[in-house]
Amino acid sequence: MNLPDNRGLVLGVDQFERIAIAVLLGLMTLTTFANVVLRYIFNSTLIWGLEVTLILFAWLVLFGMSYCVKVTAHLGVDALLNVLPSRARFTLTAIAGLACLIYAALLLKGAWDYWAPYAALNRTSGRWLPTGFAETRSQAWYLTDQVPMPAVLSWLEPLINMGERYDRLPRVVGYTMLPVGVALLLFRLLQAFYELLQGVRSSFIVSHEVEAEVAEAQARLKSQET
Amino acid sequence: DPTRCDPGEEVIKFSHIVNTDRHPKGIAAELLRERVNAEMDGIACMEVYGSSTLYNDDQVLEAMLQGDVQLAAPSLSKFEAFTKQFRIFDLPFLFANMEAVDEFQSSDVAQAMKSGMEHRGLVGLEFWHNGMKQITANAPVLVPEDMAGLKMRVQSADVIIAQMDALGASSQPMAFPEVYGALQTGVVDGQQNTYSNIYGQKFFEVQDGVTETNHLLLDYMVVTSVDWWDSMTPEFREQFSTILAEVTEARNGEAERVNQEAKQAILDAGGIVRELTAEQRQMWVDAMQPVWKQFEAEIGAENIQAAQEINTRVTSGN
Amino acid sequence: MGVVLLFCLVIGLLLIGVPIAISLGLSSIIFLLAFSDSSLGSIAQTFFQAMAGHYTLLAIPFFILASSFMSTGGVAQRIIRFSIALVGHLPGGLAIAGVFSCMMFAALSGSSPATVVAIGTIVIAGMRQVGYTKEFAAGVICNAGTLGILIPPSIVMVVYASATDVSVGRMFLAGVIPGLLAGTLLMVTIYFIARVRDMPKGRWQGWGEIWASGRDAVWGLFLIVIILGGIYGGIFTPTEAAAVAAVYAFVIACFVYRDMGPLAAQAGDGQDAMLRIAGGRSLSAAATPHANKSTLLQKPWALLTAFVHRDTVNTLFEAGKLTVTLMFIIANALILKQVLTDEQVPQQIATAMLSVGFGPIMFLVIVNVMLLIGGQFMEPSGLIVIVAPLVFPIAMELGIDPIHLGIIMVVNMEIGMITPPVGLNLFVTSGVANMSVMGVVKAALPFLMVLFCFLILVTYVPWISTFLPTYFMGPEIIPQ
Ligand code: NA
Ligand code: NA
Repeated sequence: MNLPDNRGLVLGVDQFERIAIAVLLGLMTLTTFANVVLRYIFNSTLIWGLEVTLILFAWLVLFGMSYCVKVTAHLGVDALLNVLPSRARFTLTAIAGLACLIYAALLLKGAWDYWAPYAALNRTSGRWLPTGFAETRSQAWYLTDQVPMPAVLSWLEPLINMGERYDRLPRVVGYTMLPVGVALLLFRLLQAFYELLQGVRSSFIVSHEVEAEVAEAQARLKSQET
Repeated sequence: DPTRCDPGEEVIKFSHIVNTDRHPKGIAAELLRERVNAEMDGIACMEVYGSSTLYNDDQVLEAMLQGDVQLAAPSLSKFEAFTKQFRIFDLPFLFANMEAVDEFQSSDVAQAMKSGMEHRGLVGLEFWHNGMKQITANAPVLVPEDMAGLKMRVQSADVIIAQMDALGASSQPMAFPEVYGALQTGVVDGQQNTYSNIYGQKFFEVQDGVTETNHLLLDYMVVTSVDWWDSMTPEFREQFSTILAEVTEARNGEAERVNQEAKQAILDAGGIVRELTAEQRQMWVDAMQPVWKQFEAEIGAENIQAAQEINTRVTSGN
Repeated sequence: MGVVLLFCLVIGLLLIGVPIAISLGLSSIIFLLAFSDSSLGSIAQTFFQAMAGHYTLLAIPFFILASSFMSTGGVAQRIIRFSIALVGHLPGGLAIAGVFSCMMFAALSGSSPATVVAIGTIVIAGMRQVGYTKEFAAGVICNAGTLGILIPPSIVMVVYASATDVSVGRMFLAGVIPGLLAGTLLMVTIYFIARVRDMPKGRWQGWGEIWASGRDAVWGLFLIVIILGGIYGGIFTPTEAAAVAAVYAFVIACFVYRDMGPLAAQAGDGQDAMLRIAGGRSLSAAATPHANKSTLLQKPWALLTAFVHRDTVNTLFEAGKLTVTLMFIIANALILKQVLTDEQVPQQIATAMLSVGFGPIMFLVIVNVMLLIGGQFMEPSGLIVIVAPLVFPIAMELGIDPIHLGIIMVVNMEIGMITPPVGLNLFVTSGVANMSVMGVVKAALPFLMVLFCFLILVTYVPWISTFLPTYFMGPEIIPQ
């Protein structure tokens, strides 16, 4: 996977993911801030501001969760693993990896089933595993409360809304990040599991949330002692 | 066993967002649950999830279309997403009083609206009352001009926002749990609600007073999903509908009294209620009525016409 | 008793190294599919709406972002300098100043680990250089850092408010007296230990240094005014206050302190300035050199480039990443909450407890024990999402004030953070102080006892929590 010849691509993807996370959080902050300013200076408000911010919030987490698998940022408990011999540790971590994969696979079916009607597609049948598609009533008509419909998305109207005009942003737009994000999560977990088998990775969890800052701080202290 | 769900009983989940013992909707839901579980024992079993423990009003309709919940009673504004005709219930001063509301809701127009969502997967069963909305603010409000420049917390529905625009007030959407704090500190200046909600949420404590405008209706509709409803036997639907209709009649008859009691409780607690003279009321009507024209095409002029005829009939004492 | 099975599954998965979020999510999904009629679609809905449907939780990313700008933007150093000027001359002065700095930083930051990182990296090194033992330094900071979630703003309080529909503003106000009290208790304890053990004290540097350092720190400390003044002065909702705080912190860091962004000193120089402050020799006298920094007049285009500067993007990214890991846990905890609601577990527990005849005191003891045990495995916010709906209805039934219950929960979370095996502050402190986790556990123990006594005090004296919110916002109304 990390072959030398696609190093540039890997770095490019990494850069893209980092910037996307930064931009999503930045937009959320600015939208909320702008609404405060508008209220006090212009006595008005972007009525869609709150809704858009909440959608961006969901996007941030849905998009970011796969990145956090990639860089092993998800929190967990390693107290037991740390006292086990490496063989047992590897076995348990492999089981943990399988559990993560099952989770992502189940959630992916759920994400599709939730999203599909809004995109005028069919849900999957089956309770645990998709066994096919079930005839589903379209919910492509379901709109957000107040978010305006941008003209660039007008191709959606003939595609899913039977040509009928959208006078608000349809819900499907915000919801699309759900199956996308969960699919990315499954992909990153598969990749991580492969890395575990290859011996490149030893765990799916970080034991605390500020590893990078701590490493930075340690480096700082070290350079100071010398 | 009527106290729990036995195997073989059809489970009916009812999700709502209010308490189960004081709010008109919560009380009605409890009554419905007791009767269904007693009278349909062995056939059906109803579980009520109140206080948003399962879903909020927006999510509950999504969950219903997905088949995860069978009954809900969101406020009528929530159905505007299904058919814009429902905007009629948000028109200001459309109904002279609750009697007119009752008449309208049992008219053919409203019955057609209930079934008008079937192509989108919902069936309307019954209308449940809360009552008429009043305006509260942190400054005395008597005439429409007093509203100019006020920041009002409102439900984020187009018709309601248009009314605030017509009054020169600005609309601020806000999560319900934040409203009390926002009114108290002055992040928003006012809000509009029924007496029972103004009392139940103690809004009157942090406001200058309540202006009795009776300008808007706050009602709910009990809905279920077409798919689930159609999968029940005709006998089941018959029996359930009968119980629901009886509960509706009993509780809707109480709604006005509940609001009057809440009004009295507000007065007893030292709150101020400002009643409008006929002239003042007419000023409000004149200020807000342009909104009707704005939404006439979506709602249907004939529907508005029907509501007005009922008003005339009710107020002329017929 | 499927629920017992559910919790066993969660703990089993946790122990073999499954991330907390996925342990909660997978167990709940299996349970819902096997024992209830909920669909996978409804689980996905819960997951998505955890963010999109929870206005209150929206404050979390903003508070995290504000805290990140404050940490990278050099606010911590200035707060420490100010603290040393104020209390550094007392016996155990630097340790007391460390606690005082943690308290001030806690008033800017919503999280405890962030407080430890911001203050700990500088103060622990400084304390060792003037002769404190590593253990003492680590123990002090590890404990004082927990104030990050008790002194407002607080992410854990935001989560509690969201789970129980109480007002965030009320919770924040309720944390003020307990936070000051806990900090004071820690400082008094240090003072007496220092008197007994004759620990080093700094030199009094005069009112001039207090004035100078105070003036320098005031830009950062003004954030307290923005957050609390903004909320109680009726300018913003708590969520808006968090967003405004983030923007303010960005402006201060980039344009006033200029420790980051386009106006900061060029590569290397900025680091130097931080080191000089961190270094023991000049700990007290250091003033941040402005020599290598640019002014807006020199680089007016910085007004635009600051938004896309590498430092800004990195800070946004780090705060975003932290938000993701935290919200991933909360979203999955909400799926577990869906199981508990669906199985009507809160009602069952309430009935069981009330029928046994527990009074409020016994109930609070049980809540404390439950949270202390839960805190051994769980991240605080996720734990609150799960436990709050379980105990809230019973507490209301017993007439316990919801705000008081919230503060008790927060103090329990604080203790959970400094007890093994999962204690975020332990891990962070061990990293910052370069010690083993068990070393930090031992070092933190004496001060942990202080927090423990404090927990008992807060539990049985509701007034400490409820006085301010009642005074400023009137008596609590039970939601809906
Ligand atoms: Na804090
Ligand atoms: Na712990």
